[in-house]
Amino acid sequence: MSSAHVTPGSVPGPKLAAHFASLEVQKHAARLGMWLFLATEILLFAGLFACYAAYRFLFPEAWAACSRELDLTMGTINTVVLITSSFTAAMAVHYAKEGKNKMVGHMFVLTLLMAVAFLVIKYFEYKHKFHIGTLPGRYYFYEGIQLPGAPLYFTVYFASTALHGLHVIIGMTVLMFSTVRAYRVGDFSANNYTMVELGSMYWHLVDLVWIFLFPMLYLV
Amino acid sequence: MTPSSSIAAPGAVPGHEATDDHGHHPSYLTDGTTVKSWLLTVDHKRIGIMYMAWVLLFFLVGGIFALLIRIELLTPGPTIMDAMTYNRVFTLHGIVMIFLFMIPAIPSIFGNFMLPLMLGAKDVAFPRLNLLSLYVYLAGAGFALWGMLNGGLDTGWTFYTPYSAHTTTSVAPVLFGAFIIGFSSILTGMNFIVTTHTMRAPGITWFKMPLMVWALYATSCIQVLATPVIGLLLLLVTAENLFSLGMFDVARGGDPVLFQHLFWFYSHPAVYIMVLPAFGVMSEIVATFSRKNIFGYRAVAYSSVGIAFVGFFAWGHHMFVSGQSTFNAGVFGVLSMLVGVFTAIKVFNWVGTVYKGAVEFSTPFAYFCGFLFFTVFGGMTGIAVATVSLDVPWHDTYFVVAHFHFIMVGATIMAFLAALHYWFPKMFGKTYHEGWGLVSAALIILGFNATFIPQFLVGNAGMPRRYYEYPERFQALNVASTAGASLLAFGFIIIAIYLTYALIYGERADNPWNSKGYEWLTASPPPTHNFIGPQPTYPEEPHFYVDPNTGKGEVSDV
Amino acid sequence: MAIANESHQEEHNMQEHHGAGRYVVIWVVLLVLTLVTVFTGRMHLPDFGLLLALVIASVKGTLVALYFMHLSEHRGANRLVFGVSIVFVVLLIGFTLMDFGTRFRLANPPGSQYSDLQAVDIGANKAEGRQGGHLDEKQKKETHE
Repeated sequence: MSSAHVTPGSVPGPKLAAHFASLEVQKHAARLGMWLFLATEILLFAGLFACYAAYRFLFPEAWAACSRELDLTMGTINTVVLITSSFTAAMAVHYAKEGKNKMVGHMFVLTLLMAVAFLVIKYFEYKHKFHIGTLPGRYYFYEGIQLPGAPLYFTVYFASTALHGLHVIIGMTVLMFSTVRAYRVGDFSANNYTMVELGSMYWHLVDLVWIFLFPMLYLV
Repeated sequence: MTPSSSIAAPGAVPGHEATDDHGHHPSYLTDGTTVKSWLLTVDHKRIGIMYMAWVLLFFLVGGIFALLIRIELLTPGPTIMDAMTYNRVFTLHGIVMIFLFMIPAIPSIFGNFMLPLMLGAKDVAFPRLNLLSLYVYLAGAGFALWGMLNGGLDTGWTFYTPYSAHTTTSVAPVLFGAFIIGFSSILTGMNFIVTTHTMRAPGITWFKMPLMVWALYATSCIQVLATPVIGLLLLLVTAENLFSLGMFDVARGGDPVLFQHLFWFYSHPAVYIMVLPAFGVMSEIVATFSRKNIFGYRAVAYSSVGIAFVGFFAWGHHMFVSGQSTFNAGVFGVLSMLVGVFTAIKVFNWVGTVYKGAVEFSTPFAYFCGFLFFTVFGGMTGIAVATVSLDVPWHDTYFVVAHFHFIMVGATIMAFLAALHYWFPKMFGKTYHEGWGLVSAALIILGFNATFIPQFLVGNAGMPRRYYEYPERFQALNVASTAGASLLAFGFIIIAIYLTYALIYGERADNPWNSKGYEWLTASPPPTHNFIGPQPTYPEEPHFYVDPNTGKGEVSDV
Repeated sequence: MAIANESHQEEHNMQEHHGAGRYVVIWVVLLVLTLVTVFTGRMHLPDFGLLLALVIASVKGTLVALYFMHLSEHRGANRLVFGVSIVFVVLLIGFTLMDFGTRFRLANPPGSQYSDLQAVDIGANKAEGRQGGHLDEKQKKETHE
């Protein structure tokens, strides 16, 4: 968001857009804008959480049976991977404040690698489900669970993990810009780290959503 | 530390003297005349004007659909179209008017134009996002339009499942279009909130902001908090329609009422996205044309935020007969009435402002009078339909149609037209013909009443909404309603003519109302960066008029 | 300072800088809580299993928001925005669940524990199973046998 106002190569600090009174204001605006954007993301997932809550309430047995059908090991590994990637993203901000641009780049590369790992694991989980037939709505053909509400569980499962996966991909794109900038331009410093900070905030949100999705889907 | 003090004053460029010579500094209208300079502008004023062009176009489209509905309902049987076409026409009327006209109308046109001027800022906080929101809006409108040309859809604007999941009409592109328009709405909302927080000029504290800003702020909060939920929901229904995922399918254990919960979680607060900016416009106008400080500034400001908040506790009143639990219905019924409390606070304060004011009865004030009537009448019927036992017989009749047209459309259209006339000199530096203004205002207010008061009656007599045919005993009232609608259309045509004329041949004007609103402290039309020369000084209050009773600049505030 | 005071306050708040140790601690706590929630989740606690899992998730979420996202240092609007969005999530889910919990039983979807109706058999053609599943495979097997 703030990156829109930052022109590459404008050392030492970020460029002040003409309509802002000062850099302070510009940074504040960018950060507040990001928080508002994250609020919309939270509300976006809230709609799915409401669907989840309603159907969990109506079909607790199907929910329990279906959640045991998921691969808990893969889910746990994915949770650990995502939390760790969130940690490295936080460290990137830390190094950006200290002006260690190389470390910022390294941290983001680690984050991106873990994001890829997350998606790969997710792919194998999906593949298994397509194979055994635990699929949404009318595509459901799994014989192991024939409880009312079972296809609905997988509708919620696929809708929420797919939407989350989409956010992982968007987050990776955002972080890639910061990574390239950290290596190529290397002008992040205590005065100029908004781009890193906001990208990292977005990544934490992706993590935050997964922190809730994981127990909801795998552990009921 | 950053050298903020030297660049703090907007437009305080050394060597430039304050000047009233408008030819000297090009206004935003003449600063670059190429098509590109408009299409790629990041100037909030130009974006506001571009929004105006598009929103008015969609208003025309929605209005034509409305007239088609009214002509069809002239006779009890088929009149000019078949039943399927009728279903499509009323659906498109709803979708175009709500998503393409009412939601962006006041915030995106007048909000965009006035907010930075009212805050003494050079622009909104994120000018590029502002431009993006316009194009996102157009992209969404394009999708929706494509769906309409591609056969249209017949679900009603509410897209209720299970019908929307099964109908073969082109639901998917229109749903997706509405989803995209949601992004535009969110971007505008975020932009306004951040602008209000960070771009206020020195001297403008929270309680020195014009009331329009408070209203826009409250509106933006709703846009940011509610729109994502419907975004998700529209995606789910699109998926349901295309792939039958079974999320709201009863046969697969799904619950269509859950759809309605999520739908109204956005769509009820969306009513306040439409009407809160209208309240803001009216708070400005009532002070200006009564030549009096707004009565109860803080009460009006807080009640905007209050409406935005309690508006989220009311959504269940759309579902009284949908299979929602009676307990929930009762709770939502009572909570809905809270909105009436906050709206009443505003109404009393507006009336208190007019009381003993030196009223200048010009076109915007005429619209204020109409607005007051529609708000009170529509609001009171709103309390009535929020009562569960009363709503059960009224639900889905023309009574409800008339109610929401009164409060949501009546109030908003009055404010939209009032704002258009009040800020016309500000936006274009020209005035329109006052006589024609009053004539068309009278026509529109009369026409609106003539359209919808018969609908109250016919609804109360039991005529259901969305029906293509009706018993003959309802015909007299339907004919009256159609006559009113044509009066309304006539009024709009007159406005279109004299405002277009004024745009070209209108007399030069700077501040014909002698308004003390902050946005009038710069030239009309404003220069590209809003202010030239030293920063304007901001008086103690945003609506600072001499008290006509004492002749002193007293504050007749709380 | 000739700007809105909020921005100045914000800048002041953000000038704190902590050592990396703080992030490591949070990271370790998050991992431990993940293991705890997996452990308790596998016990399949009958009534409060989901509740416990959500409480643990909320603690983890709070840690991420406060320290990774620096909400502990932010003041004013940033905190308000985050807090308000959480309130509205609760509002949405709360009112919706209140409806399901207090409904007339026949109004709930058939087959659910709060409905007296049997799940719909949409097997008018046998290709679709009782709960809406595709029974293609099963059917194939049956015809084989």
